[in-house]
This record gives sequence, C-alpha cells and structure tokens, in this order.
Amino acid sequence: MFERRLYHHVDWGLLIAVLMLCAIGLAQIFSATSGWSDVFEMQIYGVLLGLVALVVCLSVDYRSFADKSHFIYIAVVALLVYVLFFGAVRGGSRRWIDLGAFNVQPSEFVKAALALLLAKFFGESRRGAVTRVDLLVAGALTAVPLIIIAQQPDLGTAATLIPVAFAVVYVAGMPMRLLGALALVGLLAAPVAWKFALQDYQRERISTFLDPAQDARGAGYQQIQARITVGSGGLWGKGFTEGTQGQLRFLPVAHNDFIFSVLAEEQGFAGVIVALGLYLFVILRSLESARLAKDRLGAYLVLGVLASFAFQVIYNITMSAGLAPVKGLTLPLMSYGGSSMIATLAGFGLILNVRMRRFTN
Amino acid sequence: MALTEDRRRIALRLMVLQVSVVVTFAALAISFWFLQIIQHAQYQEMADNNHQRTLALRAPRGVLFDRNGKVLVENRHSFTVSIVREHTKDLDRTIRLLAAVAGLDVAQVRQIVGRHRGEPTYRPIVVIEDASLAQVAAITARRLDFELPDVVVEQVPTRQYPTDALAAHVFGYVGEANEAQIGNGIKSGAIIGQSGVERVYNNLLMGEDGARRVVVNSVGREIRTEAELPPTEGRRVQLTIDYDLQKAAEDGFRHAGFNGSAVILDPRNGEVLSLVSLPAYDPNDFAAGIDATTWASLNNDALRPLQNRAIQGRYSPGSTFKLVVATAALEEGLVTPDFRVNCGGGASFFGRYFLCHLKGGHGVVDMRQAIEKSCNVYFYTLGNMLGVDRIHKWAENLGLVGKTGIDLPNEQESLVPSTAWKLARTGEKWYAGETISVSIGQGQVTVTPASMAVMMATIANGGTRVTPHIIRAVDEGGGWRMATPPAVAEQVAFRPQTLSALHDGLWRVVNAAGTGRRARIPGRDVAGKTGTAQVISIQGRQAARGSGRDLRDHGWFVFFAPRDNPEIAGVIFGEHNEHGYLGAPIARHVIETYFAKKEGQPLPVLAPAPGVAPAPEPDPDTVPVEIGPPVASAPQTAPAPGTN
Repeated sequence: MFERRLYHHVDWGLLIAVLMLCAIGLAQIFSATSGWSDVFEMQIYGVLLGLVALVVCLSVDYRSFADKSHFIYIAVVALLVYVLFFGAVRGGSRRWIDLGAFNVQPSEFVKAALALLLAKFFGESRRGAVTRVDLLVAGALTAVPLIIIAQQPDLGTAATLIPVAFAVVYVAGMPMRLLGALALVGLLAAPVAWKFALQDYQRERISTFLDPAQDARGAGYQQIQARITVGSGGLWGKGFTEGTQGQLRFLPVAHNDFIFSVLAEEQGFAGVIVALGLYLFVILRSLESARLAKDRLGAYLVLGVLASFAFQVIYNITMSAGLAPVKGLTLPLMSYGGSSMIATLAGFGLILNVRMRRFTN
Repeated sequence: MALTEDRRRIALRLMVLQVSVVVTFAALAISFWFLQIIQHAQYQEMADNNHQRTLALRAPRGVLFDRNGKVLVENRHSFTVSIVREHTKDLDRTIRLLAAVAGLDVAQVRQIVGRHRGEPTYRPIVVIEDASLAQVAAITARRLDFELPDVVVEQVPTRQYPTDALAAHVFGYVGEANEAQIGNGIKSGAIIGQSGVERVYNNLLMGEDGARRVVVNSVGREIRTEAELPPTEGRRVQLTIDYDLQKAAEDGFRHAGFNGSAVILDPRNGEVLSLVSLPAYDPNDFAAGIDATTWASLNNDALRPLQNRAIQGRYSPGSTFKLVVATAALEEGLVTPDFRVNCGGGASFFGRYFLCHLKGGHGVVDMRQAIEKSCNVYFYTLGNMLGVDRIHKWAENLGLVGKTGIDLPNEQESLVPSTAWKLARTGEKWYAGETISVSIGQGQVTVTPASMAVMMATIANGGTRVTPHIIRAVDEGGGWRMATPPAVAEQVAFRPQTLSALHDGLWRVVNAAGTGRRARIPGRDVAGKTGTAQVISIQGRQAARGSGRDLRDHGWFVFFAPRDNPEIAGVIFGEHNEHGYLGAPIARHVIETYFAKKEGQPLPVLAPAPGVAPAPEPDPDTVPVEIGPPVASAPQTAPAPGTN
C-alpha cells in the first residue's frame, strides 16, 4: 500500500511548515492559558491524533478515497443530522457529539468530505466544460451540509463550505460569465439576506464592525480589544506570556478565535511576519501540488481542501486584527480545537497524497 | 488535446489563485504593519490604560502636638468604598448590588455616582467614607466572588480629634476641596483644612499624596502592584496650646453651665495657652466627610456652634473697658494714681446726669479704689478729661482696635470709636457727651474675646502688645524647629506708676472688696476685672420681649496672675451668664491648673456642680445705670442707656 519509493516524494517542506504552525499554535495556547493546562494537553492529543489521520490519509491512494467519497459524504451528513437532534450543546449551539473523554465536531470533517466528493464529481466528468447542470448538482451537494450546519447554528463553519465548492468549480472550468453573474446575484441578494436570512445577533455583529464605538462595551468590545492587542505588540512584541491583553482577559477566547491577536501581541510584527510567511508558504506549496497533480481529480481535491483552509486563515487573521466582523471562525493549525486539528491535518494528508502519487498510475 | 487544454486552463486559473493569495497576504502584512508599527504608540497607550489603574494613596496629615509634646490630633485608618467605572459593564447592577451588600439606600448611591458622572472613568467614586468593618467584610467577600470587581475598598488615613470636641475651634476641620480651592497643588477630591489651624497651616499639614499603579484584569480585579510611590506625611506641628489648660477651661465652662469663650495667653510672648469657644462642633464629624444632616443641623443651630466666638464674636466690653480709660489717663499724664473723685452716686456731664451703679455713691475714691469698686463716676470723669480720641489711641495700644493678628482664619475686627471713625461712618461729628458712655465700655465699643486677652496681656507685661499665636514649632523633617513668633504689634513701656496702680487695683478686685473674689487663690496674687456686656438696651428689651431671643447679658472676667511678673493672662467670656463674676471660678481653675502643672503638683479637679445654686450676690456691674433727665439743654444724642 505504501510503497517505499513514494516516501521520497512526500513534500517534506510542506509537512514541516504545517508542523511549525502547529508548534506556534501550541506555544500560544500554552501562553494564553497560563501554562500547562487541560486545554494545552487536549491540543497536544489533537495534534498527535491529527498526525495519525494525516498518515492514514497519506497511505491510501487518494483515488480510492475518491471512489468511496459518496459513502464518506453520506456518513458525515448523517452525523450532522444526528448532531442536530442529539448533539451536545455548548454556548447556545449544538455542534458536538459527546464521546465522554472528548467531543467530536462532525462539521469540521464535512469540508474534506465535500472536497473529495466534488473532486470526484468534476474530476471524472467526461465532459470538457462545466455545465449548468453540473453547477446545480455541485450547489445542491454543498447546500445540504451547509444548511444543516447553519441550523446548529454555526454560520462560520457553514460559510467555509462555499469556498470549497467555488474553488473546485472555478478550477474545473466554470465559465467566467457565469462567475460574474453569480457575483452579481450575490451582490443583489445581500440586502435581502440582511433583512431575512440573518439573525439579530448576526446583523448586530456586522453593524458593530462598521462602527465598533457604537457598542464599545458589547459587541464592539472584542473588535476594539483585538486592535489594541495587535497594535500594542509593536515590532518585537511584549514577550512570551508577557502580553497584557490576552493574559488579563481583555480579549476573550485568546486560545481560540483570537490566538493570532495574542501572537501579534507577544511576538510583535516580527512574529506576525513569520506566521504569515508560513501560512503563505503552505498555501502556495499546496497550489503547486494541485498544478503538479497527475489528474484533474487530484488537482480538484487539493483545491477543495485548500479552499476552506485558506478562507479560514485569511478571515481569521483579518478578524484578529479587528479588521473584519467577529465571527466564530478558528485559525486552522493554531487555534485550540481537536476536531479542527484532526480534520485539517487529515486534509493536508490528502494534499500530500496527491503530490506524492503524482507519478503513480 | 483536450487534456492539454485542460491542463493549461487549470494552470492559468491556479496562477490567478496564487496571485490573489499573495496579494491578500501582502495586504494583511501591510495592515499589521500599520497597526503594530505606525499606530503602535496609540494602541500601546490604550493597552496600558486597559490594565493599569493608578490609585491615589492619601497622605496622612501632620500630627498636631500640644506645647508639652502631647498628641492632640492624629490619624486613624478608615476604609473608603469606591466604584471604579472603567471596566464596568452594567453600572446600575453594581450600584444595586453594592447598596444591598453594604446596607445603603440605592437612590442615595445613585445620587452620589451621578454627581461624579462627568469625571474620567478611571477615577474612583467614593460611595462610603469611613465604612464600618461589617461593610468592609461584606464587600470584600463579594469582591472575591467576582461579583463586585469594580468596587474598590481602600484604607485611608483619617483625622482623629480629641474626644468632647476639645479645642474644636483651634483645630478647625477638614473637608474635600471645593471648586474655588482646586489648583495650586490642590487636586480635585483632596482633603484640605477648611477652618482653624487645619486651614491656616494646611500647606504644612497636608503632606503629599502617593500613588500606586496596579495591574487589573478585564473585570477590573487587581492582579499585582506594579509601582508604588509612598505618600509623604504632612509636617508635624507643635501648638502653643497646653492640653491641660485647654481642658481646665472647657471643664470650667461645663461646670459653670454656660457657653462662651476663653482665651488664655502667655503675656510675655503672646503664645495662646488655651482658646475656647462653646458650644463647639465635633471635628471628627468632618474627618471622613460630613453628612448633609449633621452639616445642616450645625448651620441651623441657633447657638451657632460653628462660630469661633473667641475671634468672631464681638461684644460690648462693659466695665472691663475702664482699664483702657485708666491707662490712657495715667499714660497721657492727665492724672496720677492718687487722683481722687468724689462719687455721690452719679454726676452730670454736658447737661445729662449719668448714674453710678451704687446708689449712695462710693465717696472719695482714688484710681486703685475706683478700679476695685468699678466706680462709674471716676471713669466718667477721666473719660471726659481724655476725650474719645485719646481713649481710642490707648485702646489701640492695648489691642482693642482692629484684629489681633492671631493665626486663625476669619478674625473679626474689634471696634472702639473715634471722631474720625464717626465722621467717616455717619458723616456726623462726635459729641463729647458720647465719650461719657464710652468711658465705661458702652456705646459703640465692640470687642472680641481675643482682643480682650491681648489687652490683659499688655497690661500684665507693661505695655508690649503681643500678637497671639498658636503655632510653636514645626518638624520639617529634620527635627523640631521653633516657628518664628509674629512680630510684637506695638511696644509702649508704661510708666511704673501706671503699672503699679493698674496691677494693684486689679489685685484688689480679686483679693479685697471687689467683684472677682471667686478667682482668688491664696498666694497666687490673681488680678482681674469683671464686666457686663449688654445684649440689648432697656428700651430694646421691652420691645423684644416675647421674641424668644435670649436677652440676658453676657459676663466678662479678665485676669492675669501673678500680680508681679505675670505669667498667664486671659479672658473668660460667659454667654448670657448675666454676671461677670460667674466667669471668675473658671479663671481660677485655669490658673490653679497652670501653677500646679508648673510646680509638678497634681492637677486640681473641679468639685461636682453644687446641687443648689447659691443665692445671687449683688453685682455692681449689672445694676442698671439710668440716665437722668437732661439738666441743661444739651444736644439729644441719646447715648445708649444701659447697664454698667
């Protein structure tokens, strides 16, 4: 199954960059939770399990995964439905399956499953161009888990599915006219969505983003504090565990959504550049894997997995600097969260898989 | 073919993605550059404000000592409870919870907070001054539970004054600086002296507040102290007041059962040994911020406890003013002590008949006897010879004109009329007939007890008008340094015969047939004089009948001791006590205490108040002096008729 010669084709550079980001994340969690904590320990388990998942996803030919992708998709959607009815509730949303020792968040695994399914769908399509029917099918496949996740409610994770579909469809050759039309529809639909689709708290978040001072003690608080946290870091930062904003809890969930703010505070602009560089390297290197992929399936799979990753990274970092509305989107590889870590590393297992097997038949 | 086209399309679209990712990351890097490098200073400051809180450490005010080193006013620790709104999310919740925990009225707390609403949020709003231990315990317990993280309990030094409001008007009181007082080193919310020594020597006593910079977390809880600048205690100040004499005088008043004022000086240098004004307020009520009810009741009290009668009360001097006339006549060389006048119970001047208080008259009296018996006719005669301007001049030399210059705030001026004064005041010329009333301390003569004390000190020391003062020494940090005593106001060496006549006469008042027998102490040669300050004229008395005002006369007793080389001089002013001689026992108690202390004897104790008041003895000072019908057609200037 795992042939010896394949070992030489593993993209060690990408793997090392990914692991370095995990290490930075662990260090910041250590700092944000004041030393050796349960949270820190859980994250180590998450990384270790994630590496196991990575190896598993690497070992089996991605085409075998793609062949089973409809089963994987159906299984994950079934889990989502299960969660909707029997999931564990925390912080007002029902997202987790309680397994006693730890909780599993199935929505994190939807991204990879969707990427696999869409990659297979478009990669094995015999037709040259993407038709409207294809688009409708892809849209439906995306919409099913998206709508279920949005019911939890977890709009952030739900939103990460859209880039998956878009990336695959885009690279699969969606006509630019159609893309333009979609963008136009989206633009026109925005006010309607504002009025009907969004919850009150979601509307509030967006309006406070536009003017944080209008609610400096409430929703605007986190955004103002995020900017203070980042800005006060300066060039070299306040030093590891020396940050005041994160350590004294002016910025909430410093080990989670705002981990990058705390990194910026403690390690300064220098640390930010290092982390941004690593993320950029990971994304560009993965795009390179897509280019090198042996078949369209491989390229689409890489794109699908990478799309949600890149979207989350960019959105979270923008939010960390107080430049985007606060949304419960974690920073992949760094934020605390076992399911996210495992799913992300499994995704990178698939990306490495595609590159590694670029010469096999 | 299709495959290569596929590949080309994929490669092209991938490149578009690559470029967009690079551009996005570049934009992110630039954003972080802006926040972290360009705007760093601004955000650094905001972060510091977030987690640092500067708490003022109130400096203890300087300790006040009496002349023998006994502590008079010190500081105790009290607790204040404040709200710091900086990180408060729900101020009303905090107010409600704090009020419930501390047992306060919610509306009242809201009102306090509302008063300070405009101030910066990091400045604590003091809700409870001098909190009880129970309140402190209840609040700190809640604070630990994170329920009241925005409530701060601070230990602050608070003024501790002696019990029984001892020497209240000497010390004055402290209070929060008002708008007009802020500036020049005094910050908003500072506690400063508002009256008495606390006010006059505020700069010495105030000290310098320190500060403590603490780190707080997002709910406002203190994590640790980052830096501390300890407060500098105010200077230690020694007063000229003698605790035992102060207490003796106040005990004397309490024992005698009337209010009034006493000023006791060392005639040799003007040091104030004791200064009493009764009724008094309790300065402790002000120490931790006075509540509105107490303040209102002090202000509305008809007895005016806030007034320092010793320097702000102005009264007619009555017979004690005869000493001024005697001094003037002797020093101006108009008469010798042997000058005699035949008192037949009254005499006519300028067509009017002025009575002596003794119906039958004193017969032939010389200066010494005239003082002893307080003979009106004798002093009418001298006054007539002198004229008002020379009386005024010598009153001034003795300290009865203007202020004494004592180092206490808001002193009132004493007044002895003169021709120039009347012209300036009313535009009319002085009538010689008015001088006759003035020469027995009637008319427009009004003096403060403090100025009377200066007069007695000047007569006691032979003509040196000392400036009474209360501060004796200051510890500027390097040990006690004597304060520079104020300059002597005026020095006129009295002729020896003036002195001996005055001293003998005053000695006789106490030790012979005079009115001051109750001040007599065998072997101490106390010299003194009684007087009555008329509250209202006889006609006025009729008019004011039923108005509820206390119209009884005030009584004076001025004294010094011993007769030769006096060491102690002063005045006892009894408010509405009707008889000057009732002040004499107070003076005696003070003088006894003075000598007992000086000689290391046990201090005298006042016998418990007698159950039955002794029958009033005849008081020549209070026998009404009636003015007879005009003998000749003299100008009707209507000199104030009244008592002697």
